[in-house]
Amino acid sequence: MLDKIMKTDLFAWIDRRTDAGAIIKSQLTEYPAPKNLNYMWNFGSLALLVLVLQILTGIFLVMYYKPSAEATFGGFTVAFDSVERIMRDVNFGWLIRYMHAVGASMFFVVVYMHIGRGMYYGSFKAPRELLWIIGVVILLIMQGAAFFGYLLPWGQMSFWGATVITNLFGAIPVLGEYIGQILVGGFAVGDPTLNRFFSLHYLFPLLLAAIVGGHIHALHVVHSNNPEGIDLHKPEETIPFHPYYTLKDAFGVAFFLLFYCYIVFFNPQMGGYFIEVDNYVPANNLQTPAHIAPVWYLTPWYTILRSFESKLLGVAAMGGSLAILFVLPFLCKSAVRSARYRPVYKIMVIMFFIDVIVLGYCGHSAPTATLKVVGQIATAYYFLFFFALPLLPKFEKTKPVPEGI
Amino acid sequence: MTDQANQSRRNFLYVAAGGLGAVAAGATVVPFIGSMLPAADTLAASKTEFDVSTVEAGQLVTIQWQGKPVFVVHRTPELLKQVDGHDDKLKDANSEAIAEVQQEWMDTPEKRKYRAIKPEYLIVVASCTHLGCIPLFKPSEGRKEWGDSVPDDWAGGWHCPCHGSYYDISARVLNGSPAPHNLHVMPYQYKSDTTVVIG
Ligand code: HEM
Ligand code: FES
Repeated sequence: MLDKIMKTDLFAWIDRRTDAGAIIKSQLTEYPAPKNLNYMWNFGSLALLVLVLQILTGIFLVMYYKPSAEATFGGFTVAFDSVERIMRDVNFGWLIRYMHAVGASMFFVVVYMHIGRGMYYGSFKAPRELLWIIGVVILLIMQGAAFFGYLLPWGQMSFWGATVITNLFGAIPVLGEYIGQILVGGFAVGDPTLNRFFSLHYLFPLLLAAIVGGHIHALHVVHSNNPEGIDLHKPEETIPFHPYYTLKDAFGVAFFLLFYCYIVFFNPQMGGYFIEVDNYVPANNLQTPAHIAPVWYLTPWYTILRSFESKLLGVAAMGGSLAILFVLPFLCKSAVRSARYRPVYKIMVIMFFIDVIVLGYCGHSAPTATLKVVGQIATAYYFLFFFALPLLPKFEKTKPVPEGI
Repeated sequence: MTDQANQSRRNFLYVAAGGLGAVAAGATVVPFIGSMLPAADTLAASKTEFDVSTVEAGQLVTIQWQGKPVFVVHRTPELLKQVDGHDDKLKDANSEAIAEVQQEWMDTPEKRKYRAIKPEYLIVVASCTHLGCIPLFKPSEGRKEWGDSVPDDWAGGWHCPCHGSYYDISARVLNGSPAPHNLHVMPYQYKSDTTVVIG
């Protein structure tokens, strides 16, 4: 198929002016990929798919959405009503909105799997440090974009979530108050906040698109890691990306869409995990809901925040828990990449994955004394994991890695 | 010799041009960041008038001032008694830690304790000083009505649903709460016996 297209006159005409043929060769048909990649390597292309879906559905939503906190006759607000109008009156509005809301959660499912893959198989280690760092930047921008987007329906959770997070910046000494005011554009979350969050919610995914370009470029310079975590030297250890991995990725896409469509069509709220029930109540700045929690993908960090009695410490720990991901490649000193050949690291990293799930559970639940202690222990392990890494090579006996694949 | 002089002149010009460029770029950032600060009409401190006699004894009413929620509580003599006897459990019993928790009229120990011009009407900003949620009013003593959402020796006051901060009936924060300060007191004055002007 592709080679037929590449033989046409039209393609030749374009090729003379863009060098498209050479790009396709070096990036696809002759791009060498390890022959032993498992299904954990599908999540990168899935993340790309979801990013495209989010941008596409977002652009269509903006055709009807109105960012204004002004009150309407119904006693609600322009923004809340415009979302309800999309749900009830706009043709296929319900579908486009559910695709976007479910897509946000699925984006995090996919990217968390992608990051977990990188941690388990040591993909962050040399020479892929910068690739990893660009990935962490992507994660932070995603979290920002999701946070800005969540304010837009102007429901109770939108409003109080934004209040809590923007107040976090107040803990920063000296500048905190100004940063808070710059974020909300007033003294409390209100109409100016909604407008600027809308502006930023449009900007961030476009930034993402650009940075993902850089991420993939960096990948294509250093090439993919593989489940064995070893460097490949012989040509017979690799296969061309196209058609082998384009097809495998397409299979992954079909499988993913099965889940995605089930949720979009049959269970868009996902039991209050993907769209919180309280967000169907219009924002009321005089009443905090009985229990407020961020959407599931931010709850692990929320637990870290809550685990400290001092506000400044809590905020610092939360920031630190994300920032520490940047230096992971430099903390982890072992010469062996893959957890398959690192018995101690394997246990530690699996416990780390469980730990993040526990943190997420604690952050999603109403605060009780027991959960607070559980959250504090989980927070301690989160940091312990990173701080133990530099010492690990001193006592971990790694297994011999294979010569080739 | 001249070559060297030329080189150092060039270096000077590079640094001067680069430096000026950096200053200009920095100056350009000012209006953009400035535009994100609260606009003039948002700043124009609006005042809110409120008739405290509309609040029944023992009742709490939440009103709005500058987009912020404000509590007005009508404290009965019983509620006022609950202010005493737990100073050791408070982070800042005399409201001295920061400017926002005190007002000039708090000039006697009594006023610092009740944190109100008229002790029976407590008027405070309703945003938890932790992260800005509105605390829930749980005025009665003991935990009968409030279950285990409050400690055993609950003296009555507020409980923040977000991260579990506690305030007493004068809105002073209890030890062990994530909130660092007492609820803020904003400037207000009585225009008549019952009309209060906030702001
Ligand atoms: C919008 C989000 C993202 C997109 C679209 C994306 C896309 C991709 C793609 C297409 C690949 C190649 C296929 C694969 O190995 O799965 C890849 C590889 C990689 N990504 Fe991402 N990525 C995203 C986010 C992240 C994040 C958040 C991180 C880490 C914090 C990360 C770290 C990596 C690493 C280390 C590799 C190389 C993996 C290997 O070869 O073993 N990525 N990415
Ligand atoms: S906002 Fe009140 S305890 Fe956090």
